[in-house]
Amino acid sequence: MKIHSGTVSLKTLELKSSGSYYARQKQLFVLVVIIVSVVPLVIISLTASHYYKKSWLEKTALELSGLAGSRKEIIDLFLENQENLLSGFAKLYSLEDLRVQGNLEKLFRAMNRSGVIVDLGVIDQHGRHLAYVGPYKRQLADKNYAGAEWFAEVMRSGRYVSDVFSGYRNEPHFVAAVTDPARTWIVRATINSELFHSLLASAEVGPGGDAYIINRAGELQTPSLLGGGTLSAGELAALESKDRSSVRVTDNYIYATVPIKKGDWILVLKTDINTSLAEFYMARKRDMLIIAGASLIILTVVTLLVRSMVNKIEEADRKRMSLNNRMRQVEKMALIGRLAASVAHEINNPLQMISNQAGWIDDLLDDEDDKHLKNYDEYRNSTKKIRGNVKRAGEITHRLLGFSRSNDSERKEIDLNRLVEDTASLLANEARAHRITLEYFFKQGLAHVVTDASQLQQVFLNILNNAIDAIGQDGVISISTRDNGGHVVAEFVDSGPGLSPDSIKKLFDPFYTTKTPEKGTGLGLSISFSIMQRLGGDLKAENRKEGGSMFTVMLPAN
Amino acid sequence: MNDIKILLVDDEEDFIRTLSERLEMRDLKSNTAFDGEEAISIVSDKEPDIMILDLKMPGINGMEVLRRVRKSYPNIQVIIQTGHGNDFDEAEARQLGVFDYLKKPVDVELLVERIKAAAKAMKLKDSMAAAAFAEAGEHETARKMMKG
Repeated sequence: MKIHSGTVSLKTLELKSSGSYYARQKQLFVLVVIIVSVVPLVIISLTASHYYKKSWLEKTALELSGLAGSRKEIIDLFLENQENLLSGFAKLYSLEDLRVQGNLEKLFRAMNRSGVIVDLGVIDQHGRHLAYVGPYKRQLADKNYAGAEWFAEVMRSGRYVSDVFSGYRNEPHFVAAVTDPARTWIVRATINSELFHSLLASAEVGPGGDAYIINRAGELQTPSLLGGGTLSAGELAALESKDRSSVRVTDNYIYATVPIKKGDWILVLKTDINTSLAEFYMARKRDMLIIAGASLIILTVVTLLVRSMVNKIEEADRKRMSLNNRMRQVEKMALIGRLAASVAHEINNPLQMISNQAGWIDDLLDDEDDKHLKNYDEYRNSTKKIRGNVKRAGEITHRLLGFSRSNDSERKEIDLNRLVEDTASLLANEARAHRITLEYFFKQGLAHVVTDASQLQQVFLNILNNAIDAIGQDGVISISTRDNGGHVVAEFVDSGPGLSPDSIKKLFDPFYTTKTPEKGTGLGLSISFSIMQRLGGDLKAENRKEGGSMFTVMLPAN
Repeated sequence: MNDIKILLVDDEEDFIRTLSERLEMRDLKSNTAFDGEEAISIVSDKEPDIMILDLKMPGINGMEVLRRVRKSYPNIQVIIQTGHGNDFDEAEARQLGVFDYLKKPVDVELLVERIKAAAKAMKLKDSMAAAAFAEAGEHETARKMMKG
């Protein structure tokens, strides 16, 4: 007995848990593409805007600090000028000259070309106002400055410039005073600090920026450009270093501070980062929107692309899988066929023995006198049953031999349409009895086929028998033929309930049957399948969307 | 019918013995051979009319026996009775001119019916041959053939 040596797994290949595997692949692809395309885009944009902002801050801080330096020079120069002018007067003129009202007025006019001097006064070493030119003559006429702090200071160091105050006059001003070289009298000028305002207002600190001067106590010497008479504690804290020039960047502002008036005052320039950068922020927002839009487009395109790609892969896998399954089926059938035929051969001899021995008993019983044999009828009955069952077993083994039919069987040119019709006509009576209509859709002029007509007929008979059994009662079997690129195809469509998923898998397995043992051995389609393989063709079964099943017989055309 | 000489060839001795006895009960006399060599020697010895032949046997197999018999004794009617025959064997056997090809298990009644049919065919062939000889004027040969 020759048995195929290869092993055949009877397990059908399944697509990798279908849905979820391919969905995971899609997600993975999309994720990878996002990482390699969108993420760099975002990183580039973020770092670019970060560096832009950083360099803007550095540049602005530098500019602000330069601006503060230049303003400091102007202010210091101005203050020095005033002082020098006064001290010039004090050296040039005697107290007596200045006590003459007309002389002082002349000096005032000479000094006040720029219009910043509010008034000019001469005070003796005891604090008495000796002469005065200015709008507040009446209020100041009898004023004695002996107790004033500035008076003490100027008498001590010879020159003095006060902080800004409103004093009696209700408008911000400061006082510059110098003594004569002998420190016997003082010439004092009140200077309008409005001048500083215009100096600071012209500092380009940008929208939301500010420029002001404070004294060491943190009191505003010029009004803040933004208004408000005092500084908030937070702002004061921001102006950390008061003794030297510095630039400080906080979350919202850049501060440039520079000491002026020998460190008595501090000039503060302040730029509002957020307001200045408003345009930059807008541009960044626009960039972000563009990136978001681009990402969305990338995401959409990639998703669609990946979906179609993975679907194609899935489809290809499915095709390959079904081809593999089909190859397995063919291999399995070949193995089972050879095995079945060998077993059938080996069983036929014992069956012949059993049949013969039972027959022999029968023959011997003929010679017996039935009166002497108590169970004569039983023996007769028993041998009859033995022979009947041997016959049944013989039929099965003979059908199994169908698997090993040789290939040299008669091949001749056949008319497929006629062969189908002739075969169907053999079952016409049975079909009529079940009220089943046979319909034919034959294509005329089919390609020529050279094959074994009787084996092919056996295949058609099997398919038609199954169709009739599947329908049961009332229905249609339609048979069509057509050419299909090198093959001639016959399709058998029935109006039955179709094949169950289990049936589709095992349809061609030997001894698989849904019928009762009396009606079918489960070998018909199995043998039909192996016949079609032997004839170089194919046999397929499927369910149709419209319902019912369809068997397709394919033969190579010559 | 009891003048027909039958030779049963099969390596299953029990089967052949029983079959022989059963045929005898049906008025058919037979010899038995259990392998190819024995079958050929009996054929040359006794020239049976009908031979029931199994194909699968040790030594000279059934197909070889059939070939030799058809060559040397074309008048012997051969009925193949085998459990191993496939289409290819059947086609070859029929081509060699067997009277019938039966697949085991074979019921004895069927076998008897085929033996009788073979005998009848043999007689018919003989009588036709005899008629032909008679027509050709060889009456002696014709008479001899009819007797056989």
